[in-house]
Amino acid sequence: MANRTTADGARAAKTGTTTVGLAAADGVVLAADRRASLGGGFVANKDVSKIEQVGPSAAVTISGSVGAAQALVRRLRAEASLYENRRGRPMSVSALATAAGDALRGHPVWLVLGGVDDGGPRVYELDGGGGVLADDYAATGSGMQLAYGVLERRYDPDGSLDDAAATAAAAVDAASERDTASGNGLTLARVTVEGVDVRTSADPAEVT
Amino acid sequence: MQGHEQTAYDRGVTVFSPDGRLYQVEYAREAVERGAPAVGVAYDGGVVLAANGRRRSPLQDPDSVEKLHAVDDRIGIATAGHVADARRLVDRARVRAQEERLRYGEPTTVEALAKALADLVQETTQTGGSRPFGAALLVAGVDDRGPSLYQVDPSGTPSGWRATAVGGDGALVSHLERRYEDGLDEAAAAELAVDALREGTEADSTPTDLDVTRIDAAGYRVYDEDERRGLL
Repeated sequence: MANRTTADGARAAKTGTTTVGLAAADGVVLAADRRASLGGGFVANKDVSKIEQVGPSAAVTISGSVGAAQALVRRLRAEASLYENRRGRPMSVSALATAAGDALRGHPVWLVLGGVDDGGPRVYELDGGGGVLADDYAATGSGMQLAYGVLERRYDPDGSLDDAAATAAAAVDAASERDTASGNGLTLARVTVEGVDVRTSADPAEVT
Repeated sequence: MQGHEQTAYDRGVTVFSPDGRLYQVEYAREAVERGAPAVGVAYDGGVVLAANGRRRSPLQDPDSVEKLHAVDDRIGIATAGHVADARRLVDRARVRAQEERLRYGEPTTVEALAKALADLVQETTQTGGSRPFGAALLVAGVDDRGPSLYQVDPSGTPSGWRATAVGGDGALVSHLERRYEDGLDEAAAAELAVDALREGTEADSTPTDLDVTRIDAAGYRVYDEDERRGLL
């Protein structure tokens, strides 16, 4: 995650961070590193929360420009809260994805949205162009290729939440080893019908 | 000629009568009094709202008669009077609550929300061509200062209460004045609210038509049918 947009804007902002999301049999796991960097060359912050709850059973990972991502999260929470009070039930994950896709179009922000609704666990990948892509697992950020390498080998759609948590942690760990813009520990969220459980530590072993 | 002039005072909402009254606002209050009442009772830790949804026919879906509305995580609104007018205020309140969260990153307070709604209502009493809202609201919830209950009337006046009612005649408020005491718990507050409601309603209420919610630090919770039956 870059906390300054450099000369080539969105592209530069994308090059920091590794975040992943995986659907498991009974929930979704989201994971992210904790480093904020200036263009990937200087560590600006070593304890950044890149996973934010946006609904009773929904959360996003953020990557890209910090300011745009934070504003987007605030807006998404407001949309979800308004929806719930107007309709008397929480927003479905697909409705959240649609609203988020519209809100982030044109902003240098990439999200993985994970949630559980009547249709079960859902993962969406959202890009700064407004694209909304449903998937079983997804990764964003400069470390995404390293993370995908782990996810492609280890992802199990029928796995338990704990299995998915271990896979997510391994994916972020692999990226943190080799991507200079990712690191400083792990934030891991388990999203189930009961809610969102977020844990974070400089030592990845403490949160898995 | 005299009669003609008197009619003129009560036609224009922005026109005072010679004795300083706004007839259209008073007519709006009348519309509220004719409406099915709603009661709010604050207790240690929260506020209980109760209302009787009046169905036009046994065929009408009871869930579609909405008197109590969730507005924010820890704020609800009870309405009396014209349903159509009230609904607009409720939705404005919901949007306002989210605007405050977006602007400040923290929830609004009951008082601030009630006053924002009161400003909107007041505007209609001073704008040419408009009609006052024929609805009164109880804005209830818990914020950083604890439980809070506000009333907004058709003139756009906000007022804070420990227990009060909108809609119906004065019998409900009299009942609350006689029975309210400090230090109530949730169960006692709910019992008092439903008792007051029965005081001001001719027909016996049924668990189907009665709506009860409580708002405390844990959020907005709707009483289920068994709990409502217990209160009756």
